[in-house]
Amino acid sequence: MSYKKIVEMIPVEKRGMLSDKLLNYLLKAKKENKMPSSLAKCFLSQWQTGDFDDAAGLAVLLEATVTVEPGKTIEFVETEMQLADVAKALKEAA
Amino acid sequence: MVKFGIEFVPKEAYWKTVYYAIQAEKRGFDNLWITDHYNNRNVYVTLAATAMYTKKIVFGPGVTNPFLINPIMTTQSLASLDELAPGRVVLGMGAGDKTTLASTGIEAKKQLSAVVDAIAIFKLMLEGKSVTYEGNVFQVKGTKFNFKPRGQIPVYIGAQGPKMLAMAGKIGDGVLINASHPKDIDYAVSQIKSGVTEAGKNISEVDVTAYASFSVHKKPEKAQQAASPVVAFIVAGSPNVILERHGIDLDKANKIRGALAKGDFGGAFGSVSPKMMEAFCIAGTPDMCNEKISRLLKAGITQFVVGSPVGPNVRKSIDLISEQVIPHFK
Repeated sequence: MSYKKIVEMIPVEKRGMLSDKLLNYLLKAKKENKMPSSLAKCFLSQWQTGDFDDAAGLAVLLEATVTVEPGKTIEFVETEMQLADVAKALKEAA
Repeated sequence: MVKFGIEFVPKEAYWKTVYYAIQAEKRGFDNLWITDHYNNRNVYVTLAATAMYTKKIVFGPGVTNPFLINPIMTTQSLASLDELAPGRVVLGMGAGDKTTLASTGIEAKKQLSAVVDAIAIFKLMLEGKSVTYEGNVFQVKGTKFNFKPRGQIPVYIGAQGPKMLAMAGKIGDGVLINASHPKDIDYAVSQIKSGVTEAGKNISEVDVTAYASFSVHKKPEKAQQAASPVVAFIVAGSPNVILERHGIDLDKANKIRGALAKGDFGGAFGSVSPKMMEAFCIAGTPDMCNEKISRLLKAGITQFVVGSPVGPNVRKSIDLISEQVIPHFK
């Protein structure tokens, strides 16, 4: 499933909180070299022209955090946000 | 009106630094300064990436030095950046940190002359002509680019000692003062003014910039905790005359120096006293920071640079500055 499709499974009212948490994970990630160059450019382009709490931005952010910090991201979605189906989709995408 | 700048140390992957650069531009900062140390990511790669993802923020190395990077290469780098981001590029040039330079096998001799030479070569080469220059430290003979630089680029000089400060006032478009306390700014401004007078300029022609260690958070103790490592290193690296200016106990400073030398970072950071924090950092709530920035403005600064650590969470601190600090002054 694409990240855009996964984002559609996330309630709109929860996207802001998720985006905020994911940005913290990403910017504090130690294994930053896990971020592919193409995805880093996509992440920066999205930030330059938009934000991360709309559907397009959250899809890019989810892909980046699942790539760099898969464990923390999936655990947060599953445990804190109580979105088991989203967590399952992210595990498959990772 | 005062300008706000922000400093980033490119010690992390480029995309993190560029993320913060984009955020700084979006949140109303005027200037971005990227530090230049051989042990971090390359400053010009970081700045080139920044140029590609920003539109209006003014940026440059803050600061490079002529010992590790030859002035010709610095000029080439800045002239090239000026093509990527026309009119948004500035040079920050200083004498470099002797200890760091020593670890690369470079002896930083005649620092004042080296900076004067470097800036002279920089300005001459930006004219796009063949340059011959005989300085005390650097000489060039018939040096010319195979491309035409867009034109002159503003030069900021990183200065602390009286001679460098005066020289910066004399030949610089701006001065970067590593200080966050009015006492240090007062002293620096008086020295800068002597250079400005000697050059027949007006102080209003010089962007007097405080490059301050800064940390903001809604809870002051969190801001100060984030700042203590930076302050410990500032104390350890400060000449005793500066420590005495602020009434700091030299024995306490030596305790920090000893702890850092042994790698006892916890001991060093835990030994930072409130007096040290007051002298070398602006840390606290937005209101506390605003009060301290106001004192620096009264002392004569025209640009305030938010330096490391920015806050316990850089991203959230940039937002907080944008919401509660910058609007207080603009």
